[in-house]
Amino acid sequence: MKKLFTQITFVSLLTMTLFACTKTSDTTVVNNTPVTATVKDLVADTVLGLDAKTGMPYSAGIYTFFNIEKNTIIPSTDTANGNWDLAFKTTKILINGGTSGNALGGAFIYNGLFDDLKTIPADSVFKVDNAPSSYAITYVNDNGWYHYDYATNIVTPIPGRILVIRTAKGKYAKIEITSYCKGGVNLTSSSSFNDILFKQRYYNFKLTYQPNGTKIF
Amino acid sequence: MGKHILILLFFGPLITFGQRVMVVKDTLASDGDSVVVTATRSERKLSNITVPVTIINAKMIQQNGALRLTDILKEQTGLTMTSGFGAGVQLQGLNPDYTIILINGEPLVGRTAGVLDLNRIALGNIKKIEIVKGPSSSLYGSEAMAGVINIITDASTSIPLQASLRYGTYNTLDASINNTLVSKKLFYQGFYNYYNTDGYSIRPNSNNRVTTPITRLTTSQQFKYNLTENTNLVFNTRLTDEKIISNIAVSNGGVTIYSNGKEHNTDINLTGSLNHRFSNDLKTSFRSYLTNYVSNQDLLTLSGAPYTDLLNHLFQRVENQTDWTVSKKITGIFGAGAVWEGVKSSRYDSEKVRKNNTIQYGFTQWEWTPLEKFIVIGGVRFDQNASYASAWSPKLSMLYKLNPQHKIKLSIGQGFKAPDFRQLYLDFTNAAAGNYSVFGSAEAQKVIGQLNSLGQIGTLYSNYYLLKSLQPESSTGIHLSWDWEPNPKTFISVQAFRNDIKNLIQVQQVGAYTSGAQIFSYLNIGRAYTQGLELETKYQWNSDWSLSGGYQFILTGDKDEITQIKAGTVYTRDANGVSSRLSLSDYVGLPNISKHKAQFKINYVTKDGYFANTRFVYRSKWAVNNTDGNQVYDTGDSFAAGYLSLYSSVGKNYSNGLSLQVGCDNMTNYVDANNLSNLPGRTFYFSIKYQIINKK
Repeated sequence: MKKLFTQITFVSLLTMTLFACTKTSDTTVVNNTPVTATVKDLVADTVLGLDAKTGMPYSAGIYTFFNIEKNTIIPSTDTANGNWDLAFKTTKILINGGTSGNALGGAFIYNGLFDDLKTIPADSVFKVDNAPSSYAITYVNDNGWYHYDYATNIVTPIPGRILVIRTAKGKYAKIEITSYCKGGVNLTSSSSFNDILFKQRYYNFKLTYQPNGTKIF
Repeated sequence: MGKHILILLFFGPLITFGQRVMVVKDTLASDGDSVVVTATRSERKLSNITVPVTIINAKMIQQNGALRLTDILKEQTGLTMTSGFGAGVQLQGLNPDYTIILINGEPLVGRTAGVLDLNRIALGNIKKIEIVKGPSSSLYGSEAMAGVINIITDASTSIPLQASLRYGTYNTLDASINNTLVSKKLFYQGFYNYYNTDGYSIRPNSNNRVTTPITRLTTSQQFKYNLTENTNLVFNTRLTDEKIISNIAVSNGGVTIYSNGKEHNTDINLTGSLNHRFSNDLKTSFRSYLTNYVSNQDLLTLSGAPYTDLLNHLFQRVENQTDWTVSKKITGIFGAGAVWEGVKSSRYDSEKVRKNNTIQYGFTQWEWTPLEKFIVIGGVRFDQNASYASAWSPKLSMLYKLNPQHKIKLSIGQGFKAPDFRQLYLDFTNAAAGNYSVFGSAEAQKVIGQLNSLGQIGTLYSNYYLLKSLQPESSTGIHLSWDWEPNPKTFISVQAFRNDIKNLIQVQQVGAYTSGAQIFSYLNIGRAYTQGLELETKYQWNSDWSLSGGYQFILTGDKDEITQIKAGTVYTRDANGVSSRLSLSDYVGLPNISKHKAQFKINYVTKDGYFANTRFVYRSKWAVNNTDGNQVYDTGDSFAAGYLSLYSSVGKNYSNGLSLQVGCDNMTNYVDANNLSNLPGRTFYFSIKYQIINKK
């Protein structure tokens, strides 16, 4: 049974790949339709436990790499060839450019509603990562995409903050992070300590990708 | 004689003698009209007061079974108790920072994050509490922005000895001795109070100190010595010593972390005054006041580094006030004084160096009674400070008695709150939560500049360059009230108020470390308002039964947030993660404020000494947490649920001086561990009191 399932998956993957190849190789029929997808519970260095001595939470300290075009997670062993666009570790999001990567990646944060951003303004400046002092998607609390409450230890995505991304290949995408919590639920000050500790660091976001290289969604 | 006084000083409370009783009448209160001192800094009949005043008398404190100041304030119209850093009081929607707390006219100090813990104040020897609503900086200077709460200790001479004992749930024990000695020239009163509770735990593993065992000792000594018929010397001391033990165990995923905490707080107040009456029309008083609040917190995590926190606030003041009755229609007061103030704290750059401030001030107030039914009072105060900008505080108030049934009061005043030491000198990095730092505005540029030269600063924002000496926060308040007594049994009062606050000092990010951790400082950036209505009623049904109630409706808002919402730049997100523009109708204003608050009391008192009462206190929901991340409180955020709590007590005062009382607080056992740490579940108590009363 398991084998059958694997085979089916393999076949469907193969078909998809073939299909995708056909699409991209055929330059005369460029897909102008932006692709919208929803990503759920992307793991970003989740907490493994509490340090017995200090009482502070600890985690593995690893990034999760994401490819926007394929809407898929890239194994960390397979990131050398520049096929990732975003890398997530806790509240930190890297783009594949500047000090973080040698591809064309860049980003900036747009203030407004996701659906209202139909065209990336012409005068927009895409930033690149410049570790350790600045990042294209800043992870300084309240300045970038999230608010961290020091009293409750809850991270909340700030509404009306859209991440405008230039992918590794120089295409454009927009992302709105809708939740930082497993299952997309909202944590509150009355949530349990365990939930606050272990259910955070899961990214849920809405994504629109324009495959044709234009800035129009 | 000197030796005699010395003996009295030490053994006073153990000796009683009832001969040669000096009967001092409440000079103005002979006709049943209460006397108010806080509204004008001079004795005035309540019926002639031009500003909104609430009086809580000793009888009410006893009937309610109130032990600490919090217990009685929570049942007053327009007042809400806050949790966090002890129990603070929110007055007409303004945070605890903006209400000055006085004992016999002298301010208490020692605030944590702006909150003065009102559990510090025992009510055993209190004659009355006066609450003046509305900006009162024209008389009291800084902190009197929302209003003034003045606790007046009992100086009555009719009770030579009083002892009381109360025991209740959570092993809460309260014992008091009150002793008065009177001779022709000398008045002495000693008060001793011991309070101990095992604490309560409405949430396991909580580190909130209200749930922890507390022992408090309060003593106060009052001396009054009449040098001549027109001159007297008054000397008061008060000491509160508080020990709190907090042993915390936080368990998670099989790992338990133990911490042993100790907190020791001491509050000393010393007052000396020389009062002289030149004539019936002219009197003056020199007052000198010293208070020192010392708080020591030790938290030892068994497997980690010890954590200590020290706060030492010293406040000294000298002041003169002269009262002059120019004519039957015009009276005036003048005053001037100086304050030397200093704070040492482990949250500043060095806990060994005291940060100092000096203030000089002068004030005057004139009362004009052109007609018997019309009184106008105007006053102004100027405060000159070493550490921040100076402040002028004017106030104008008037009373018009239409007829014996109707009275109208109007007052307009300005209040201010000086930047506190924390806002000027804090030097705090929170290693337990993300290593963020907060630097007081006076030293932020220097400290951050040094860090920058060490290469530790990643970003500096434009507001970093705007850091400069802070302005006092200021408010303008308007209060209009109408008192109506349709018959001698009924009293109704309606009050409308509006406070406009500017230069609010708020924490704002000014930069970030290279690690991304935030750096904050304090800037004058906020503008806000509070406005509302208050209703108070009393009805004496018959000789035994009476009803009283109060209600407050309040609306608040941050003016800058409202501007942003109107501009369409504030967004919200629903539970499904869908974002939208926030509309003004979803804006709820300032956090921790309930739109509706009400209380109601049914009171039964018989001539032969029986008394019983039931009190209801209601508070509607209030915003506590910004769940949608937009930093603005709206209907989509999390709220603490509104609640009704119920209190009741029954007792008897016997004619031989014995009093017995039983009571139950929070009868419905309402608890909210997250938002109401100061409200334990249902508690019972029994108290016994004995007093020797001198028959007049």
